Amino acid sequence: MEMTASAVPARAAPKATAAAPSQQAAGSVTKRLGNELMTLMMSSSPGISAFPKNDGNLFDWTGTIEGAPGTIYDGLKFKISIHFPSNYPYTAPAIKFDTPCFHPNVALDSGAICLDILQDKWSAVYSVQTILISLQSLLGEPNNASPLNNDAAALWARPDAFKAQLMRHYRPVE
Amino acid sequence: MALFAPAARDAALNDGTTEALRSQVAAKWGEAFARLNRAEPGIQGLMEFSQAWGMAKEYLRPRDIMNPADVRPDYNISLIRHAFDLVGQSRRLPVLLEGLIEQTRQAFPLVERTIHYHLQVYEATEPRDPREIARLVQALRRWYDAWLPWSELGVTICGTFTLHFHTLLFAALPPSFITGFKHLCACTLPNIHADSTVPGSADNAALDNADPTHFAFRIWDTFDALGMLDRYETVIASVGYEYIERVMRATCAGVWGKAVMPELRRWVAVRVKPWLRSVYAKDIEDDQAAMTAIQTVSSRFDFHVAKTLCDLRISELFDIIIDYPDSAPCLEDIKECLVRVDGRASLVQALRKANRKRLLHPGADTRLILQQYVLTIKCLRAIDPQGVLLFKVADPIRRYLRERPDTIRCIVANLVGGSGDSEDDILGETEPPAPLHQPELEDYTDPNWEPEPLDAGPDFRANRPADVISTLVSIYDSRDLFVKELQVLLAQRLLKGGGDAPEKERRNVEILKIRFGDAALQVCEVMLKDMGDSRRTDVHVQGQENLGVLHPTIISRHFWPAVEGAEFKLPGQFERLQSSYAKQYTLFKPDKKLRWLPHLGTVSLELELEDRTVRVQVPPLEAAFIELFSEQDTWTVPALIERLGKITRAAALKALLTWVNHGVIKETEEDTYVLLERAESEGGQGDARKLQAKQRLVEQEAGAGGGQEEGREEERRREEGRREMDVYWKFIQGMLTNLPNLPLERIHAMLGFVDTYNLTTEQLAGLLDAARREGLVDVKEGLWKLVIK
Repeated sequence: MEMTASAVPARAAPKATAAAPSQQAAGSVTKRLGNELMTLMMSSSPGISAFPKNDGNLFDWTGTIEGAPGTIYDGLKFKISIHFPSNYPYTAPAIKFDTPCFHPNVALDSGAICLDILQDKWSAVYSVQTILISLQSLLGEPNNASPLNNDAAALWARPDAFKAQLMRHYRPVE
Repeated sequence: MALFAPAARDAALNDGTTEALRSQVAAKWGEAFARLNRAEPGIQGLMEFSQAWGMAKEYLRPRDIMNPADVRPDYNISLIRHAFDLVGQSRRLPVLLEGLIEQTRQAFPLVERTIHYHLQVYEATEPRDPREIARLVQALRRWYDAWLPWSELGVTICGTFTLHFHTLLFAALPPSFITGFKHLCACTLPNIHADSTVPGSADNAALDNADPTHFAFRIWDTFDALGMLDRYETVIASVGYEYIERVMRATCAGVWGKAVMPELRRWVAVRVKPWLRSVYAKDIEDDQAAMTAIQTVSSRFDFHVAKTLCDLRISELFDIIIDYPDSAPCLEDIKECLVRVDGRASLVQALRKANRKRLLHPGADTRLILQQYVLTIKCLRAIDPQGVLLFKVADPIRRYLRERPDTIRCIVANLVGGSGDSEDDILGETEPPAPLHQPELEDYTDPNWEPEPLDAGPDFRANRPADVISTLVSIYDSRDLFVKELQVLLAQRLLKGGGDAPEKERRNVEILKIRFGDAALQVCEVMLKDMGDSRRTDVHVQGQENLGVLHPTIISRHFWPAVEGAEFKLPGQFERLQSSYAKQYTLFKPDKKLRWLPHLGTVSLELELEDRTVRVQVPPLEAAFIELFSEQDTWTVPALIERLGKITRAAALKALLTWVNHGVIKETEEDTYVLLERAESEGGQGDARKLQAKQRLVEQEAGAGGGQEEGREEERRREEGRREMDVYWKFIQGMLTNLPNLPLERIHAMLGFVDTYNLTTEQLAGLLDAARREGLVDVKEGLWKLVIK
């Protein structure tokens, strides 16, 4: 390694070639995100939605998840923010709740989410839409085995108390 | 002395000079005298010289041949020669020649007068008569001959004279002479009339009274003597070129049914070469030697023939292509000419221009454009097998076709409709169907490999000869479009066609499978299978319960292109038949359900009226109407429409009109129709006229309401527009859900995420406003938000 590095003086050319693929990659990521946006818009899945925060930047989205009917979160709306890494979809997007969400797998203060498909179980075949659907179902069916919010996990068995805590922290989306 | 007496010295010098001079002059004199007097005694020699000089001078003096008194007398040639010899011996010849030159110059106005006279006559007569020029040339020849010293007197004398005569002559000839000269030369060419190899030409040769060859021989001889052959070589050549061009225009223009090149060659050999020979090699007796002598000139003429033919054919190429394959032989000519003449670039340019002017405009039918394109492919491939010409010419056509909305349909219709319908067959397909050509890498191991021609551009794709269909399909980047259109077309044909439609289409689909591959045509396969299955199902259902007349075609909704639905319900016995059929079908295939498409198909009806029976085959809507008329005799149009459900008034009127035409019903008053149980005597003229008027009205209404093809096209476009709007609306919803309170500009900018977004902010404002009126969105202080229900 060192031998080659000293033998071949650093030149501009390798740098340029190194920069090119990443640009190319950015292009293909943008394309993929554009397609995902189109699919999401046209699919009209009830209760989930997301959209880029700014025109011209497809890497930062904001999303809305409504609690599924029949769950304890029914009728509540939660804002989330989604940030796509530049090597998406090979790495999972970073997602957190913006609306305080009292939930066993969501950190109440930071909004961080503990969901396997957003961590080690991530796969390139997932899309914004599948993530949003997973999050929506996570609201109704928490994974109490690995809680981020221990209080919430403890309270899950008692819906009334849980709901009270939930509503105490919840701030309605405008 | 020398120092102090300059005058004396001068005198002495003068004396000295005079002395020297005197002696020198004396020496010269003596020498000259000796030269002139030669060795003769006394001044005998001098006398002789004086005589000889006088005679030579008089002999050389240019005469006025117009003046009969001034004729060169018959000299004794030996005397003259003697006189010249004497002058030569005395070394006075140069002086004599100088005198000759001067004399010729002084006498030349005589010649000039002749020139002006004849040219004036030539220019004054109408039409201009080249014989006048011939007369002029002959007159000039006479002057020349009259002044020309005997050739026996030596090359020097004759040469000097000829050179100066020519110089003076060409200086004197006005530019207008060239025109006449050309005219005259043209007359020496074989008369186009008299030429059997050159059929009918309107050129009038003025010299047809004279024997052309004889005349020509004389005239060329004269030209040669006057130095005009060398001087006007280019003019003579241009006369030949123009002649060739004229003859070719007369004989070759529009003659595409045969290769004219061999004929032209023969003609050049028989007609033009002898002429060339008479011009350039008239003195050579031996044929072989003569041909060698005119080799250079005749090869120039050969080239000109090729060039002229090439230019002519290039200017005609568009029409030649239209006439293909009748014009195929002349393509060989073009190919041959292009090898010799560099006309490839101009061919491409001319054909592109012609295409742009005559083909690629809205007035031309897509089918015609395709047809011409196909023919262009075939023609240019014949001319240039490498395909560079085609590539260059085809590019604008392909680009234009890509923009036409009905190109695909047109191609597909021809892919499918190939057999039988000769009028529709633009492909003129003789090639066996082959898999669609895939662009492949060049095979450099091929021993017959040839490099791309020089004029192939960098973007030239080496299209190895692909069949026409592949080329047409390759207009579009994707084949899916074709497959989709194929499905639509197949659906139409299957649903419209009679009992044998599936068999015919089966054959087509098999052919298309070879081209597009099995996978692409799987859906078509299912469609065909549906047709067969329908028949089997029908046999089964009919076996269970005899429903007689109803034979539905059962199609799989998922595999067939969307069939536009006209939602009306068939009344009376039709409905009963349908429901019993549906029941049987559900029994047969429990997991499936029939959804009727009542507007498709045909109904064979037999109407039993009081006095007659009417047998007709009509569309279902017509059948439905007449069924209703069997319930009651009188119906109004609104009532009929209400009974059947969703049908347009135009469609209803059209159906009613069918029956009016059959004489089964008639319109008694506006919108009210009555069944005619008894046929009315063939309606009076008034009725007929009314009927026609009605028909027109219906057609108009149908046109306005989107009745036939155009209507459907319109409908499709509107549908597309709606779909676009739908996409925009979904995006607006999405963005307002997540980002409440957006100003119009932000929404406009965000819609940029949709690739096809092309609305202006004004149009977007209109869209949002429409949504606001429907209560979907709301705007406050320029910020838009969704209305939450």
